[in-house]
Amino acid sequence: MSADYHMDDESPRRAYDARLMRRLLGYVRPYRRWLVAATLLLIVVSVISNIAPLLIMWSVDHYINNPDRTGLRAADDAAVSDALAGQVAADMAGLLRIVALLAGFMILEAALRYVQMIIVALVGQRTLMTMRLDIFDHLQRLSLRFLDRNPVGRLMTRVTNDVEKIQETVVSGMVQVVNDLLTIVVVLGFMIAINWRLAVIVVAPVPIVFATSLIFRKYAQRSFLEVRRKIAHLNACLQENISGMRVVQMFRREDANYAEYRRRNADHRNEWLRQIRNFAIYFPVVEFLGMLATALILAYCGWVILATGREVSGTASVGTIFAFVFLAEKFFSPIRALADRYNLLLEAMASSERVFRLLDTPPDIEDKPNPKPCEALRGDVEFREVWFAYEPGQWVLKNISMRIAPGERIAIVGHTGAGKTTLINLLNRFYDVQQGAILLDGVDIRDYPQVALRRKIGMVLQDVFLFSGTIEENIRLGDDAMPMDHVRACARHVNAAAFIEKLPGGYGYHVGERGCNLSTGQRQLLAFARTLAHDPSILVLDEATSSIDTETEALIQDAIAKLMAGRTSIVIAHRLSTVQHADLIIVMHHGEVRESGTHQELLAKGGIYRTLYELQYRDAAGQDAATPE
Amino acid sequence: MTGRAERADAAEHSRDSGKALHGRPFLSLLRYNLPYWPRYLGGAMLAMMFVGVGLVVPLVIRGIVRAFETGTMTRQLLALYFLGLLLIAAAEGVARYFQRTLMIGASRHFEFDLRNDYFRHVQRLSQRFFHCNQTGDIMARAVNDLNYARDFIGPGIMGTVDMIRLPATLGMMIYLSGRLTLVALVPLPFISIAVYFFVRYMNRQSKVVQDLFSALTARVQENLAGARVVKAYGIADREMRAFRKACEAYMRENIKLVAVMSFAWPLIGMVIGAAVLTVVWYGGGMVIHGDLTLADLTAFLICMVMLAFPMAQFGWVITLYQRGAVGMNRIAEILCAVPDIRDEPDALQEAAITRGEIQFDHAHFAYNGVAVLHDLCFTIRAGETVAIVGPTGSGKSTVIALIAREYDVSGGRVLIDGFDIRSIPLRTLRRAMGYVPQDPFVFSDSVRENIRLGKPDASDAAIRAACETAQFSADLEEMPAGLDTLLGERGVNLSGGQKQRLTLARAILCDPVILMLDDALSSVDTHTEERILEGLREVMATRTSIIVSHRVSTVRHADRILVLDDGRIVEQGTHDELLALDGLYAHMHRRQLLERALESEA
Repeated sequence: MSADYHMDDESPRRAYDARLMRRLLGYVRPYRRWLVAATLLLIVVSVISNIAPLLIMWSVDHYINNPDRTGLRAADDAAVSDALAGQVAADMAGLLRIVALLAGFMILEAALRYVQMIIVALVGQRTLMTMRLDIFDHLQRLSLRFLDRNPVGRLMTRVTNDVEKIQETVVSGMVQVVNDLLTIVVVLGFMIAINWRLAVIVVAPVPIVFATSLIFRKYAQRSFLEVRRKIAHLNACLQENISGMRVVQMFRREDANYAEYRRRNADHRNEWLRQIRNFAIYFPVVEFLGMLATALILAYCGWVILATGREVSGTASVGTIFAFVFLAEKFFSPIRALADRYNLLLEAMASSERVFRLLDTPPDIEDKPNPKPCEALRGDVEFREVWFAYEPGQWVLKNISMRIAPGERIAIVGHTGAGKTTLINLLNRFYDVQQGAILLDGVDIRDYPQVALRRKIGMVLQDVFLFSGTIEENIRLGDDAMPMDHVRACARHVNAAAFIEKLPGGYGYHVGERGCNLSTGQRQLLAFARTLAHDPSILVLDEATSSIDTETEALIQDAIAKLMAGRTSIVIAHRLSTVQHADLIIVMHHGEVRESGTHQELLAKGGIYRTLYELQYRDAAGQDAATPE
Repeated sequence: MTGRAERADAAEHSRDSGKALHGRPFLSLLRYNLPYWPRYLGGAMLAMMFVGVGLVVPLVIRGIVRAFETGTMTRQLLALYFLGLLLIAAAEGVARYFQRTLMIGASRHFEFDLRNDYFRHVQRLSQRFFHCNQTGDIMARAVNDLNYARDFIGPGIMGTVDMIRLPATLGMMIYLSGRLTLVALVPLPFISIAVYFFVRYMNRQSKVVQDLFSALTARVQENLAGARVVKAYGIADREMRAFRKACEAYMRENIKLVAVMSFAWPLIGMVIGAAVLTVVWYGGGMVIHGDLTLADLTAFLICMVMLAFPMAQFGWVITLYQRGAVGMNRIAEILCAVPDIRDEPDALQEAAITRGEIQFDHAHFAYNGVAVLHDLCFTIRAGETVAIVGPTGSGKSTVIALIAREYDVSGGRVLIDGFDIRSIPLRTLRRAMGYVPQDPFVFSDSVRENIRLGKPDASDAAIRAACETAQFSADLEEMPAGLDTLLGERGVNLSGGQKQRLTLARAILCDPVILMLDDALSSVDTHTEERILEGLREVMATRTSIIVSHRVSTVRHADRILVLDDGRIVEQGTHDELLALDGLYAHMHRRQLLERALESEA
């Protein structure tokens, strides 16, 4: 499966979409109590985690740099030495008290932060799972028409990576933003509380920081989009060259294509070099503004001390310098982080837009509000003037009418593209008819619930799809209530038991992805056992065309006969024995029923069937005759 | 092509290629950095510069505090310090700007070179390689792995260089107070031990989480791939249950991981906080006792703050390094794959293909150990039109692939104009050929560029003439912009038949010595096919032509028809001779008459 390298190119990017955001928040709503609790914890945490500069200021101004003590020491007098010793002891005790208090706060902060992080993680993971299950559930309801048109790889990305990205930003990202904002508010509050003039000085460079960020974002974002566009082109070019390498080599296009790639590559590099310059200017400018705040604090405090000739804690002192330098740092770092958060938000928005677009795709086949019960079917099938087209206007089935009585065996034959497979795809509502109706026991199949309807129709397709898991699981298909004896009996009845029991582990043998460790014949037999185990009222069989060794072939023919016994059976026939034993043969041609009757009748008629017989079955007839049975 | 044999083959392929590097592809890729050594040297010198300048900051602040302590502060001195700080910040900023443009820029140049070489190398690889390696995988290496490699080369190396701040700051701390430095380092062993255990747990648990994520992804993939069965058996509920279980398991393990990681960060934060507190307490005590000046303590604490950032960066650089190494190895695996079809050292540069005589001399060919062609001997004379027919899997296309040297024979020889094709330079060989492959490939480019692929200087008149012969002219007229119409991804999508006719025009335009059609008209209706063959007859009259087909109608007018079955020539002759023979060819002919009769049935 190949990734889609054009995707980023297609989706237009809006920075912020309120409607999308509301929808995303809808997923978080069930946990709002928890998020409120986490926010409350964050408030407490931001207060106690930013209180340290205040306490350090106190300890510097009152103990470490206690002017009383420095005065005593300056006196340098024997008389005061006792007083000095007393002061030293008092200052030491005071310092210890503050440090102990700080240590207490620190432990409290760590504990609260831990609890808060766990809450956020739990909410995030739960949201992620809900969204993932929603998408998966929705995918189950979308019709084959949709699934056939969308590459598996792209749909998988929605369930996996996109959801992951949304979780990272919406839940963790939101909490981060709240944390940043709280920190800014709390630190600002502390600064104003200590000295509003100094607070003004610290806040002064903020408008410049914002202006710089805005300018930076303008340039960076433009460059960012350009880079994305260019890398998409570059990768598309590489991918095309890899897929078409044969032609490239045969027509000696190596040099020309390389020159083209090199040119695009250089374009991409040059765009990045521009972008690097944007970043290289932005970061140092913000750093510089931070330093400007520090220098201003120093200058202001110094100037006040010089003017008044003394230090006053909280107004102008070494401790105040301490507190403000640290607070300024704490104040600027969330502001700096805002630019990053913005980029993450952009990506989450793109992801959520893709996810919601998928969730908004309406399933085109849905159950009616009050479906009829679909138990104990007799197996009376009627196609009534059915028209169908995959693409509007290109009719694949034209006015098909036919009736199959309960227990009858019908063989459908026809040339490639006659509409045989479409016919059986309609019967179990993989697609809905455009005109006419298909009736089962006299009721339109659209009036039955889809799941119940399909359970009544046993389908064996040419290309048998097996799930990775054990043989037993592949027969049960999730029906845990099925007794093991039943599983075994079904396998035995359709001649699958012999090969299963020979496998290492028997029914516990692990089938690889898509059944790659079983032969075509074995897969067929296993599919028969699976169908029989679920005892359908109607059997639909698309016989495999691929050649299978004669021994297995005999087992398969026998199994088909057993499966058909007592059931309405519709078979797209590729085997002579199937057509010969059919109660009725329907000859499809260009989307119409052209002939019908038994083998002998149709041969005698000498129409399309006769030609088909010579084309498709006569060789087999020769082989059958040669094979002693 | 499927099967495990092939995967094994691919694995072997990559192993073989790895040998040349002795398991150190990482180092071999580092040589891509060599041309940019002045950038790295410059970056390192700038780093030393701003780290050195940055170390002045604590000293300046110490100076200020000391001036107040000793009462020697003046307004002039204060202004000087203020300007000094701004100057330092400005110098640091300028140095950082240049360092960033130099070093991150180098990584973009590295990326550019590596991308070019990757592209160039992939071009040299043969079809066998592309069968063993999926496009998605080759792309993934050029997209994800290359990014990882570049992130290491750029931000990774820059981060490493910036790390010199660590010893420099430590030196400053020792200079300020050796005793206090020792005290500050007390929590370091605890951090190391804690980090060690956390990292070990995280690695283990991350693996568990990643495996569960793969399992979850596989579930979705299988569900989507098997959508028909899921719907047919009405087992969406079961699928939902199984998926919910996978999601829950993933969530559970993820929460475990997050729980431990959430514990790690506050804990490490606490230990660092403890170091700062210890310094405040012990250093403060030293000041109170008069063993240390307040100015030194201030400078010391500022140094500690400066240390925090490079320490946090350390883990980040390690991650970049790990991912980068894995990425580089994966890229190197491709770069070291040896092309199995290439010009031999003794290729005859003077070899020329002028006549177009082709000879298979006891040619054998086996693919993945399965014999496809057995002891094939035949000669196609210069100018002859030869058709090859046979059932699916009989080896028809392989014959053509061998002539084009997409594969080499496993035994025997293929000769053109008397030269073993392995001795003819590939460019000479391929210039002589006009090849129309089975599945037509159209580039997302204009119609004009697509047709003149093999002859970039062809005039529009020549292109139109080729289109005429290939019966593509009518289609061309319907195109919105004629020859300038863009095709593919962003342009017009052609039908299978249109693509085949376009690729036919492409081959005709090359005016090749040998024209080869590999079932090239399968999507064209029989009526158009007849007209194409009519036009081609003139083209084929002047050159050697090989037509592979399973349609008898396509080949009946050939000079000679080779009937291939199970890798052997079972019949040969003209159409009439083969009908008279009443063998496999005659049988095919009868069947196809019937099919046509059926098709024409309205």
